[in-house]
Amino acid sequence: MITREELQHATKVLGREPTKTELGMLDVLWSEHCSYKSSKRWFYLFKTTADNVALGIGEGAGLVDIGGGYYVGVAMESHNHPSQIDPYNGAATGVGGIIRDVISQGCKAVGLMNCLRFGHPEKPHNAYLLENVVRGISEYGNSVGIPVVGGEIEFDESYDDNCLVNVVCVGYVKPEKVVRSSARTPGHYLIMFGSTTGRDGIAGVSFASETFSNEEEENRGAVQIGDPLAKKVLIDTLSELIEEELIDGLQDFGGGGMTSAAGELARAGGTGIEIHLERVPLREDDMDPSEIIISESQERMLAIIAPEKMDRAKVILEKNDTTYAVIGTVTDDLQYTAKYKGEVVASLPISLLVDGFPVPERIEGKITAQTESLSWFKEPEDYGTTILMLLQSANICDRSWIYSQYDQHVQSNTVVDLGENAGVLEFPNGRLLAFTSDCNSFWCKLDPQTGTANSAAESLRNLVSMGARPLFIADCLNFGNPERPESYAQFVESVRGLGRFSHDFDIPIIGGNVSLYNETVIDGKNRRINPTPQIMISGIFNQGFNPIKRNLVTPWANIFLVGETFPELNGSEFQRLILGEVKGIPPKYQPTTEKNSMNAILEAHERGLIRSCNNVGRGGIAVALLKMVLKSDFGFKLNMDYIPGTINSIGQGLFSETSSRYLAEVTESNQPEFLKLIEKHGTTCCELGLTTTDPIADFGRFAIRTSDARKAFSGGLSKYLE
Amino acid sequence: MSIAVIRFPGTNNEDDVLRALAQIPGAKPYLVQSRKGLAGLKDADGVVIPGGFSYGDYLRAGAVASVDVIVEGIRDLAEDGKPVLGICNGFQILAETGILQGVLLPNQSARFVCKWVYLKVSEQTTLFTENIENAVLRLPIAHAEGNYFCPEEQLVPLWDEGRIPFTYCDSRGQVTDDANPNGSIDNIAGIINQKGNVLGMMPHPERASRPLLGSTDGLQILENFVRATK
Repeated sequence: MITREELQHATKVLGREPTKTELGMLDVLWSEHCSYKSSKRWFYLFKTTADNVALGIGEGAGLVDIGGGYYVGVAMESHNHPSQIDPYNGAATGVGGIIRDVISQGCKAVGLMNCLRFGHPEKPHNAYLLENVVRGISEYGNSVGIPVVGGEIEFDESYDDNCLVNVVCVGYVKPEKVVRSSARTPGHYLIMFGSTTGRDGIAGVSFASETFSNEEEENRGAVQIGDPLAKKVLIDTLSELIEEELIDGLQDFGGGGMTSAAGELARAGGTGIEIHLERVPLREDDMDPSEIIISESQERMLAIIAPEKMDRAKVILEKNDTTYAVIGTVTDDLQYTAKYKGEVVASLPISLLVDGFPVPERIEGKITAQTESLSWFKEPEDYGTTILMLLQSANICDRSWIYSQYDQHVQSNTVVDLGENAGVLEFPNGRLLAFTSDCNSFWCKLDPQTGTANSAAESLRNLVSMGARPLFIADCLNFGNPERPESYAQFVESVRGLGRFSHDFDIPIIGGNVSLYNETVIDGKNRRINPTPQIMISGIFNQGFNPIKRNLVTPWANIFLVGETFPELNGSEFQRLILGEVKGIPPKYQPTTEKNSMNAILEAHERGLIRSCNNVGRGGIAVALLKMVLKSDFGFKLNMDYIPGTINSIGQGLFSETSSRYLAEVTESNQPEFLKLIEKHGTTCCELGLTTTDPIADFGRFAIRTSDARKAFSGGLSKYLE
Repeated sequence: MSIAVIRFPGTNNEDDVLRALAQIPGAKPYLVQSRKGLAGLKDADGVVIPGGFSYGDYLRAGAVASVDVIVEGIRDLAEDGKPVLGICNGFQILAETGILQGVLLPNQSARFVCKWVYLKVSEQTTLFTENIENAVLRLPIAHAEGNYFCPEEQLVPLWDEGRIPFTYCDSRGQVTDDANPNGSIDNIAGIINQKGNVLGMMPHPERASRPLLGSTDGLQILENFVRATK
């Protein structure tokens, strides 16, 4: 809710008390969700520009030039609070909202991703949330006809009371068809079209900007209800309007409803707007003007159309049976004026409404210092059993129970399905783009800055292992209550980490979202999520390059480990499994060595030297190697005794999560050239061994049958679910 | 030849089908929105009903679309012997109209399923399977209601008359329970009407029509369909 200082500020600027309607409008637009009032002040740390960035942070979607007369568009958002209350509708409308962000920029939506966090699925309520979030995403995305091309999931008890549902939508648009979210010309009309307006989602953003208490049930009315059929018809209608260039400005109805949509259009265009609320097509007759103006009913768009184009636009809207209404006009008075049956119910300066809030003071607390100590580490007695345990850990195992419910092939552009390091889509200019996302919340919990930078590096390695060059970043930053110093410190440190990464690797951040207040007070005890900066990176392949997958494809090829390994087991999945918790200083972020190994792998891919490739992440080399045989007809025979770096034992070598490392399958004839490249780029590598025709993962001192690995991997998650 | 590709509100595979058909020499595919009614089918030598969620699949998959006016035009074309292909939701609509026998129940798992499957092509030659008899094809599926069922008195003639062109199998062509992704009776993935000119199938041939997509096996089915429109 609006604070006392904010109310005083508004009263002072207005020279009077705000009306009931105005109060509702200020409440939603000054909420953390809409205003970014605790977070925006740090965005200067990000690298946001580059030659190919056509539209950066600030509108519905970021746009990047991919050549051949096309931009790729991307938007990323959270729908955490609604999904915790009503997982099916919350997740479905999260997908609906992110699609709207992308199409409102004029894009055709071609891909979806989702990044999820839940408490451990062995608790029935967490399994229930997971099943219904997945069903919500699946039924909505499948119906609208947009393939899911990527995603990731992690489980930890810190998400027991605050699950996270972050969604990404990818699209493309020709530069001349880009639609901006601004109302530039006084006299133009405001047309709303799509679904009617009801009471669902009233003040959803305000509820998303507070922490949960034990009484969650009463917030169910704040969750919107999705309608994928209406969305599909909306998309088809919109694409006709865009094709005929009838729209001068466009904004979707998202968080904050009409208050936000119209306010942001006027703010971006340097204009004002006048709206007649009685013209809004309603679902429920007896709605108050104060409800109409903040309703977050789904599947609605607000377009700015010039008077001379109105007739043609009406023909298209009517032909498609789309509900629409001319609800107002663009003005030059810089005011947001809302009338209801002739009476003025709100008249606020746009500059006050959109970002005229008094900037709140936030205190950055201290992050608890961690130690390097490995005193907890004991060499496992049975490596094979330990590896099988890791493979079936909910944070590593097979996710096909989830992604088999998502249509991955609709639109017929999907080159690489889910279950690889990244999903790959073909764009109409013939270029292939890869999409991946990562966040290791355990690293981030121990050291938010390093953990964030390293999560981004893990995303980067996903792309590089397939042969894609990083192109842009979108992020979704999920944290606790910014009014608490320790939560705020986690957020600020994390932004520093992401900022560093974006500059170190020269990758622009073109879109994102911040979700705060992901904490809950249960019986007087405060429970906060692990810091969860979700980092999505897209990469582009050279023309004609076929993405490289991770399953071994030839017998008697060499398997190389690129990069050095240090005894970095604090924060690792191995530690979590052995101790039941993570502690200590997590793996270091090492931009220089990371860049060296990236450049070596990318050049080796360009020259066609690598048959299959995997990056080393959660679970260390052991898990990375097994992922290369799970879907392969081949096995391997290795010697793990001489791993470059400073590790002191086989176990440390197998399970360390040091960054900058890759595994590459290289045939004998390509070996000399590959080794030359490794040297040229100043990185190191060692030959671990050979691929074999036996279905056995032979590590030298011990071996695992591929069939056992497959069994452990495939059952890890599905055993908790229906 | 002129091939009408139907879009009901909520259909979402029409562009995929148009694109796949357009690569086949002689095919002139064009989009027909269902609201055009019978007029939309005036010049059609064949019809494809693509996948998606027609009318949101509210009530039951394909149920609302099956009473759309344009369906009467499709029925007339089918009776005239023109080739008709229903893919996924298109198959569900054809079953709802009764143009094809049987029903498509919710998957046995009660969940939507998207994955690559193998199809065993029957040994009997049909309009749609010329030159691929006995082959094992790799195509993707994506549906929530693909569990084909029909009573014994319909099932026996379907088999006897060679009207089951595709069954789910493993990579070696073995028709096993493990290879059945949705619980369909006898692993049935597609059926043909008595006249032999209407095919309904759950797998998506249009999504296996370019090397980049991982398979071109679906293209052969579409090529046979196009040949039949001549």
